[in-house]
Amino acid sequence: MAATRTQKEIRQRAPIWLVMLLFANFVVMAVDARDRFSQQQTYKGLVQAFFSPIQTATSWVSGTGGGFFRQIVSFRSTANENEILRQRLAETELELRNMREAKNENYRLQGLLALKAEAGPEKVYARVIARDASVWFNTIMINRGSSAGVALNMPVITPGGIVGRVVAVSPVTAQVMLITDEKAAAGAIIGQLGGSGALGSVRGLGNSGLVEMRYVSGLQKVDAGDYILTTGQDGIYPPGLNVGEVVEVRPGTATEPHQIYIRPSARLDQLTEVAVLLYHPPQRPAPEQTLPNVDKKKVMSDK
Amino acid sequence: MPQFKIAAVLALAIILQLSLREAWPPLSHIDFPLIVVVYVALQRDAWTALIVGTIAGLAIDAPSGGLIGAGGFSKTLVAYLVYLGATRINLENALIRIPVLAAAAVIDGAIYFFWQRSLGHPPSAPFVQTISYNLIGTTVVGTFVLYMLDSLFNPTASQRRQFASRRRGARRSKGLSKRR
Repeated sequence: MAATRTQKEIRQRAPIWLVMLLFANFVVMAVDARDRFSQQQTYKGLVQAFFSPIQTATSWVSGTGGGFFRQIVSFRSTANENEILRQRLAETELELRNMREAKNENYRLQGLLALKAEAGPEKVYARVIARDASVWFNTIMINRGSSAGVALNMPVITPGGIVGRVVAVSPVTAQVMLITDEKAAAGAIIGQLGGSGALGSVRGLGNSGLVEMRYVSGLQKVDAGDYILTTGQDGIYPPGLNVGEVVEVRPGTATEPHQIYIRPSARLDQLTEVAVLLYHPPQRPAPEQTLPNVDKKKVMSDK
Repeated sequence: MPQFKIAAVLALAIILQLSLREAWPPLSHIDFPLIVVVYVALQRDAWTALIVGTIAGLAIDAPSGGLIGAGGFSKTLVAYLVYLGATRINLENALIRIPVLAAAAVIDGAIYFFWQRSLGHPPSAPFVQTISYNLIGTTVVGTFVLYMLDSLFNPTASQRRQFASRRRGARRSKGLSKRR
C-alpha cells in the first residue's frame, strides 16, 4: 500500500519537477544567449572550464581508438596509393633539380621575409581537445584559454591556412568557430600571381567542408586552382593569411557576381594542433554620428 | 534500479558522444545520451529520468557551439514524454521501442533547433537533413543498445520476455494440434 502511495506521489509530483527543471534549463539558456550578444562569454567559459578535463580525457581516448580504426580503413587504399606514389616519385626527382636552383634564391629572399615575420603577431600554440558534440555546429575546443592570452575573436591558424576564430574563452580552454561554419566569414582576395586580385568575402557552407567566396564581379578572371588570401579588412584576420584554393567557379555576368567555391588549405577534418594569433586589429575611426541635414539646419539657424 | 549503474552508463554515453565524432564524423548522428535517457524513462522512474535528461543535455551542450541549456531542455522534455507514455502503454516490447526511439530523436532535435533559432543562435547544419540522419542513427543503434541495457540492468525482465515468447510458441503449437 505504502509502495502504491509512493508511486502515486511520484506521478503527481513529476509535472512539478519537470516544470522546475525546464525552467532552470531555460534560465541557463537565456543567460548564455544574453552573454553571447554582449560578447562576454563569462558564463560559458566557466562551464567549459568545468568540462575541460573530461574533454581532454575523451580526446585522448578518441585519438587512440580513432587512430586504430583509421589504420584499418587506410589499409585497403594502400595498394592504389603505392602506384600513384611511384609515379609521383619520378616527377619529384625532376622537380628536385629545379628546386635546388630555387633554393639559392630562396635564401636571399628569406632574409627579407624574416623582417615581416618579426613584425607579425605573437602566437599561442594549442591542441584540439574536442569537436562539437552536437551535430548542429562546426566548432572545436582547444586547450589554451584566457590565461595564455587568448581572447574573443582572435584568429586561429595552422601552417596550411586559417582555421577560424575564437568565439568563447575560459581560463584554460577556448572554443573556435571553423571557417566552414555558415556563420563564419572573412574578407578575402584572389591572390594569383599577376592575376585579378579581385576582392570579396568568404563564408562557410556548413558540413560540405567548403567555403564560398562572394561579391567577386562576374567580369573578373577567376580560375580553379587560384589561391585565396585574407585582406585584413574584416577586423579579425590579419592580411595575407592563406584561406584556400578555388575548386569550382560558376561564372557570373556583368551584373551577377561569380560563385566561387574554395577548399580551405588548413585540413579542418584532421586538426590536431593549431596556433592562436594574439592579433589585435588596428582601431578604425568611429563613423560620424551626426546627420548632414542636422548640421545644415544648425548653420541656417545660426545665420 | 541501481543509481550508480545509471551514472556509469550515462558517463560512458557522454564520453562516446564526445569522442566518436573525432574518430568518424557521421557517428555523431547516433545520440547515445538520448538513448540512455529513453531507457531510464522507460523504467517509469520519473525523477531519475528527468535528472538524467537534464545532465545528459547539459553535458553535451557545454563543449558544443550552441546555447547551454537547449539540449538539457529538450532531453528533459523527451524524458518526461517517454515516461508518460511508459506509464500509460506497455512499452516492454522491443518492437514498440523502435518508434519510441525514433519519436524521441525527432522531438529532441526539433526542440533543440527551435530554442537555438528562437534565441538568435540558429544552427549551421540543415534542419531536415540533420534530423533525418539523427533519427536513423539513433533508432538503429538505440534498438540494440536498449536491448543490451535491459540485460545489464534488468535480467529478470529479459527472462520474462523470453518465457513469454516461449509461452506464445507453445500456445500456437497447441492450437495447431487441436485443429488437426
